[in-house]
Parts: sequence; structure tokens; C-alpha cells
Amino acid sequence: MRRYLFAVLFLVPMLAQAELTFEQLDELSVSPENLTGDFKQEKYLSSLDASLASSGVFNYQRETSIRWQTLLPIQNELLMTPTAIVNSQGGKELVRLETDSNPAVTVFSEILFSVLTADWGKLASYFELSGNVEGAEWIAQLVPIDKTIMQVVSRVELKGDVLLREVILHEASGDRTTIRFENLNQ
Amino acid sequence: MIERITSQKLAAIGWLLLVIMLIIAGIKQGPAFDSSIMALLPKSDQQPLVQQAVDKMAERFSKRLVVLISGESEADVRAAIKTLSVDLTALPDVDNVVWQVESSALDRLKTELYPYRFSVLDEKVRQLLLDGHYQQVKDRALARLFSPMSPGKNSIIDDPFGLFSELTLNRHSDLNIKPSHSLLKVTGVEQPTYMLMATLAGEPFSTELQNNVLGVIRTAEKRLVKAGMSIRQSGLLLHAAAGAQQAKSEMSTIGLGSLTGIILIMLLIFRQLKSLLIAFLPLLIGCACATAVTLLVFGKVHLITLAFGAGLVGVSIDYALHFLCERRVTDSKRILRKILPGLLLGLFSSVMAYAAQALAPFPGLQQMATFSVAGLVASWITVVLWFPLLTRTDTLKPLLAAEKLNIFRHRFPRLQGNWLLIILLLIPLVFAVKTLWGSQSLDDIRLLQTSPASLLSQEQDVQQILGVSSSSQFLLISGDTLQACLQKEEQLAGELESLKKAGLLDDYQALSLALPSLKRQQDNIGLAQKLYEQQLAPYFTLLKVPGSGLSDANVQFKEDMSRRLTAATWQQQQGSESWKDLIIDDSDSASATAIRFTGALNDEVKQRLLSISNKHSGVTYIDQVQNISDLMGRYRSEVVNWVIMAYLFVLLVLVLRYKVQVWRVVMPPLLASVLTLAMLVQLEQGLNLFHMMALILVLGIGLDMGIFLIETGEVPHTWLAVSLSTVTSLLAFGLLALSDTPVLHHFGLTVLIGLALVWLLASIMRKNNSGDVNS
Repeated sequence: MRRYLFAVLFLVPMLAQAELTFEQLDELSVSPENLTGDFKQEKYLSSLDASLASSGVFNYQRETSIRWQTLLPIQNELLMTPTAIVNSQGGKELVRLETDSNPAVTVFSEILFSVLTADWGKLASYFELSGNVEGAEWIAQLVPIDKTIMQVVSRVELKGDVLLREVILHEASGDRTTIRFENLNQ
Repeated sequence: MIERITSQKLAAIGWLLLVIMLIIAGIKQGPAFDSSIMALLPKSDQQPLVQQAVDKMAERFSKRLVVLISGESEADVRAAIKTLSVDLTALPDVDNVVWQVESSALDRLKTELYPYRFSVLDEKVRQLLLDGHYQQVKDRALARLFSPMSPGKNSIIDDPFGLFSELTLNRHSDLNIKPSHSLLKVTGVEQPTYMLMATLAGEPFSTELQNNVLGVIRTAEKRLVKAGMSIRQSGLLLHAAAGAQQAKSEMSTIGLGSLTGIILIMLLIFRQLKSLLIAFLPLLIGCACATAVTLLVFGKVHLITLAFGAGLVGVSIDYALHFLCERRVTDSKRILRKILPGLLLGLFSSVMAYAAQALAPFPGLQQMATFSVAGLVASWITVVLWFPLLTRTDTLKPLLAAEKLNIFRHRFPRLQGNWLLIILLLIPLVFAVKTLWGSQSLDDIRLLQTSPASLLSQEQDVQQILGVSSSSQFLLISGDTLQACLQKEEQLAGELESLKKAGLLDDYQALSLALPSLKRQQDNIGLAQKLYEQQLAPYFTLLKVPGSGLSDANVQFKEDMSRRLTAATWQQQQGSESWKDLIIDDSDSASATAIRFTGALNDEVKQRLLSISNKHSGVTYIDQVQNISDLMGRYRSEVVNWVIMAYLFVLLVLVLRYKVQVWRVVMPPLLASVLTLAMLVQLEQGLNLFHMMALILVLGIGLDMGIFLIETGEVPHTWLAVSLSTVTSLLAFGLLALSDTPVLHHFGLTVLIGLALVWLLASIMRKNNSGDVNS
């Protein structure tokens, strides 16, 4: 009996985990028209076994753009639109990647856009989902379906409630980027 | 008397033996056919290297079948691609099918260039370094480092400035595809679309291969359409199959129609099977001998020679019909004496016109001239030597049709003395000359195109979606070594880039973009070294990388800076696959590479490319489309010039024999030609080579008509003979006007209009006599 009980207890969270669906996430979270806030980013570099911390502000307009402004330790602005990723520094354009001429960039910009804007529909086409819900809070694990994407992003962890609060991107190289959002304003 | 028959028999047997010997010699030589349009170019124009390049470029297209499947549901399309790929791979006719990306291959693709990150630099980075913007390169690396996601291999020690990331991010495939779910997804289209590419194991012209491969695709298409998906394809295989299909269907409609018509008319006129069979004998012997002679002289026969040569030899039906009609009113002893002068002059005029082409400096025309002259002479000898014997026992039996035609002819108006008719003829003539004066020629490669419009637009569609580079326009770079070619390409890059910037050129593919010359690699190492010297220390200080990091990075650089990407190493790499065919030649003595272009080139950019090739030695701009169009234009004007000269000479001979009456012989074909050409200009917007080839046939039949008529004094049986050869030629060639194949259509339409006019004009320019039947 105890053995069975143990098994049931053990299974319950697993079942709950498996139950998390993109539809559920869609209900739990909102994808606001626009959102501004602060971010704190920590990039772990496996080759150095050290982390680079940076912070700044961001704002996004749904389906239009994400402006990602790093303020510390360097000043840098990343503007992502569905067609291009433009990196500029001091008002000067540094790197511009057009998505249509660069298939790799297309995939990354799509994924990043979807993650930051909680576009669960689009994420469903790239990832398999697992995770669990506790009340209004949820934790989601995304694993790429496509092996070619897997070679760069091996896993994405998302935490949130109504809004997305934390993203951890695990790269195949062992590097990982943790981003925490604060002072979110719709 | 007996002696004469014997000598006649002897001559006939001698000819039979000669024909048999010729044919045996031809077969021994081996029936070799040539279909390359380039074989028709004058030798001096066509360097072997250019030919090699053209062949290599064409090969890409000829053995490749590209299939795109689109649909609303991504999963359905993916499943469809998988199924079709498995089905195609199972065929023995398919060498391989590219449809999925193996992750191991992708892995190799991503890392194989990593050791060369200092010698193979991204073009943009290289430019920044050249301009001394070292700091900017560092800033780019920093931005990438702090960006929330930076795809690519980032190792702060091995490659602190992310030179490899820069390289891989900006290197894109030559097609608009990206890997998605390990399949090849087409980018830049709205509906989910995936691609597969099959390489054929055999020739695309093989009927069996066409049936097998296209059978699988058609079955798939039916299934897909039902499921709401669509399929698009591109490849020579489709065009070859469409051409074969069209030829087959036209053979059974136009071909059968004209054959039935000819047989019916011949039976109706001669009312016996024997005449019908005999009439075609010279044509058969003519074509067989012509092929044999051409094979013996040239080693092989070009298919175009065969097609048009056979048409031109068709004139010889004139001789057969003239003989057969005349034989009905003249016995076999006297017939040759009666018609030989006419036959001889007829042969002379046609042989002159055809032989003149042999003087033109074009191998194609020389071959055509040899073929036609050999064929005509053989046909003519067959008529003269065999016909008297074959018809020896035939009784005199005037043809009813000749009498009927004679009555009909007498109701026809005559030009002579009829001012109204003369004016009525002059008016269209004036218009015709005016039209021809301002006319343009239209020597377009599309004339050689045989595919239906829907297939062509599908082809264009696929090429545009995928961004396939053109195989008919490219720059050919030649040099002593491959390295010399690469260096030359690098010299051209600036000019090509500026064409791109000006929006004239979509893009280009050059080998040196994937494999920089060793000299360029050496330069790149120097630039990277300066970058390390100037920027590494401040960069690592900013990142607070410990001191050991700096020395580690420097050690790593020293280790890798000696690496060069050699051509041999590169060719072993995965990434070289889609670039390899840019190497045209890489032998010990000489090398050549090609630079390909994406998108359609307009006239301005063609002009610019031409001037680039003129400016640099060893660089040739090749425009295969233009070459072929030019070739046809040159053939057209050569044909016209030589034929005009030949006919002027023929005219001189005819004037000597017929004096003033020569106008009756010459005017019908001459005026008919002018009117026909003018009508063709109006109907088809311009004249091309194939109109001219057909016009030679019209002129030949027209002149024969005039000569035969004047020689026999325009008797009804000669009229019947020339009318019959007009009708049979109209049926044999004129019906080709109905063909959907442009070449055949142009040829047919010219014969149709031309011969009808020749006959009408000959009728109104006739003498007034009653002739050889009692009416």
C-alpha cells in the first residue's frame, strides 16, 4: 500500500508537469500591446568559467519591435524588428542583420521575439513544452524540436505569472544567458 | 535499240550499287548525331574553354530536378516532402535526393572553417580592418557578447573578436532555403514551402527515365492537390518530356494529317498505287544518300541539318512528279529527251542556291549545303536513271485531272495585257516593299524553345523563389593556376560590389568568396594580427578577464595564424559542395573559374559586365542567350546574302536560255518571296533564320515550276505536275504552321504562304496555249 502511495505521490507532479500546454500558458499570461521595464542580464561564458553581468532597459511594441538598451557596463542598443536586427552604439549603426537574407538570423529573431513577447503559438512550432503551474505562477521548459536549432539553443527556461519574469537560454556551447525583468509597465 | 536499253539498265544498276555502297559506308562510319547548338558556331569563335564552361554550367540544370511543395499546414507539407523523397530515392533513375539536413553534416559545416578564422575573414570585417577601424571590430564583438542572444560559436579565448561568428552569419547558401525540422524550408514565401532536389542518374532525354521519374511526381501531385497542397518543379527533364510529348502528339495529328492528305491526292490523281510508291522513292534515296555523304564528310550529322536538310531535299518531289505526269502522254523512249533540259535546269538552280551556303563561314550552313546538294543530286539521278525503267511497261493514259485543271486554268485571269490585274498586283507589292524596308529581324533564342508557356512560367517561378543563379550568363576567369584565377576574381570584386550597390545586380557567386586566394589569406592574417595587437588588451580589461586569459588568447592566435585554407583542403570540406562547380578547369597547365549571377540581368548591367571583361585580361563575359541569338542572326544574314548571289547567277543562265520570257520563270517565286516576307513581318513581328530556310524551299519549288512549264510549253500535264508538287509540299511542310514548336511553325507558315502565292502568280503569268490534251 505504501509502495503504491509512494508511486502515486511520485507520479502526481510528473503528470502535472506533462499537463502544461501552450494553450494553458496562453490563458495564464498576457501578451500586452506594449511593455517597458528594466532587465538584468547575466551571461555565463564556459570558456572563461565566469559571468558577464549587464543591465539596462527595454521596451517592446507587439509585433513591431523590441528595443533592448544595455546601459552597463557598455552602452549599446539592439533593435529587433521582424525584418532585421540592428545593433547600434552611440547612435551609430554597428551591425545590421537582415532576416530575409540570412536564414540563421530569421530563426533566432523569430525565437527571441516569441520568447520575449510570450507568443506561445509561434513557440509551439519550434519547441516541445514541459513544466508546471503553481497557482498563478508557472515554470516552462522549452526544448527545440529541430536538431539544427538544438545545436545553438539547447534549452530555454521561462518563469512568469501574468507576465514573463525570467528567461534562461542554454546554448549548446555551455554558455547560458539569464535575463530577469523588473519594473514592468504595460 | 537493244544496246540502248542495256546501257540504260547498266547505268541504273550502277547507281543502285553506288547508293548501296554509300549507305554501307555511312553505316560503317557510324550514325553519329550532334545536337549542341554551339557546334554550329564558327570554329574560331568558340574557344574550347568557353565550350567547357558552358557545358559545365548547363550540366547543373540538365541533371537536376527541383521540386517545391507548398501548403497551408506545415506538418502536411513536411510529410509530403518526406514521402516524395523516399519514392524518388527508390527509383534506379535517380542518383540521389537532397531533402534533409543531417545534423552531423550541419555540425561539420559550422565548424570545418573554424581553424581558418584568421585567414578567411568576413568581407565586412575585412573592410573595417583595412580602413583601420579596429575599435569598431572590437565594439561589434562587445555588442555581440552582451546581446541577449548571439548565435554562433563564441569562445572569448579562441576567438575573442568573434571573427568566426561574423563569417558564418554572413555566409549564406546560394539558395533561399533554411533548415527547418531538419528539412529544407524555402525562405521569403508566405505559404510554408519545402524543397527537394533530385539528381538524375541518366540523360534527361531518355523516355524511360522521364516516364519513371515524372510518373512518381504525377502520382504525388494528384495526392497533394487532393490534400490542398501544390507542387512546382524545375529542371531540363520536364522540358525534355514536354518536348517529346508535343512531338508525339503533333506527329499523330499534323504528321498523320499531311501523310493522309498526300496519299489521298496522289491516289486521286494517278489512280494507282504504283505511282504513289515511285514518287517517294527519290526522296527516300535522296535523304539516305545525303545522310551518308554528310557522315562521311563531317563525321557526324547535326540534328538541325537533318531536319532542315530533309525539308530542302523535299524539292526533289518536283522531279518525280514532273516525270510521272509527263510519262502519261509521252512513251518511255522519248520522255527523257523531252524533260531532261527542264530537270537539268531545275537541279542546277536548286543546287546553286544550296551550294552557295557552303561558302558561308559557318559549319552549320556548310553541312546543310552538303546534305541538301547530295540529297538533291541523288534524288535527281534516281528519277533520271530508274524512272524510265520502272515505268517502262506503263501505257500512255492521259490524266483526267490534267484536263480538269486545264479547264479551270483557262477561267483564271491572265496578267499579260490586263492592266487592272497589274495594278492590283502592284499595290500590295508597294506595301510589301515598304514593310520590308522598315522591318526588324527577330533572332531570339526563344525560337528554339519548345516548352509550353505554363511550364516556362513554373520554371521561372521556382528559379525566382529559390534565387537560383543563371547558368547562361557568367564571367569566365582564366589563369595559369587556380590561385591566379582567385586573385583575379578578388580584383573584380570591387566592381561587382559597386554594381550590387547601384541596384543593378542582385548578387553574384564567386569562388573567391568561399575560398580566398592564399595571397588574400596572408593579408587577412596581417590584419587580424594588428587587431590583436591594438585591441585585445583594452577589450579584456573592460571585461575584467584575468591576465592569464590574455596570454591564452595570444597563444591560441599564434597557433592558428599559420593555417591557410588550401584549395585541396577546401575541396574536402562539406561547405565546398555548392561552390565546386564554379571551377571550370583546374589542370596542371591552366585554370579557369566562373562567376555566376543571381536574378535577371538587364541590358545596362550586361554592358557593364562586358566592359569589365574588356578591361581585364583573362576575363570573358559569356552570355549564352545572346550568343545563340546572335548566331541565328548571323546565319540568317549569311543565308540571305549567299542565296541572293546564287540566284543572280541562276538568273544569268536562265536569261541566256529564255531571253525575254525569263520573267515568267523568275517573277512568280520572286514576287511571292517579297509578299511572303512582308506578310510574315506583319504576322510575326520580325523575320528569323527559319523563315529564310523555308524561303529557300519556296524559291526552289517556284523556280522548278517556272522552268518545267516553260520547257514543255506549259502543257496541261506539266501544269498538273507543278500543281501536284505545290500541293504535296503544302501538305508536307505547310501544315507545320499548325505546330506549337516555334521553329516548325515559322518554317511551315513561310512555306504555306509562299507556295500558295507562287502557284497563284505562276497561274496568272502563264502563256495562253491549249496544250497536250484535247479540250
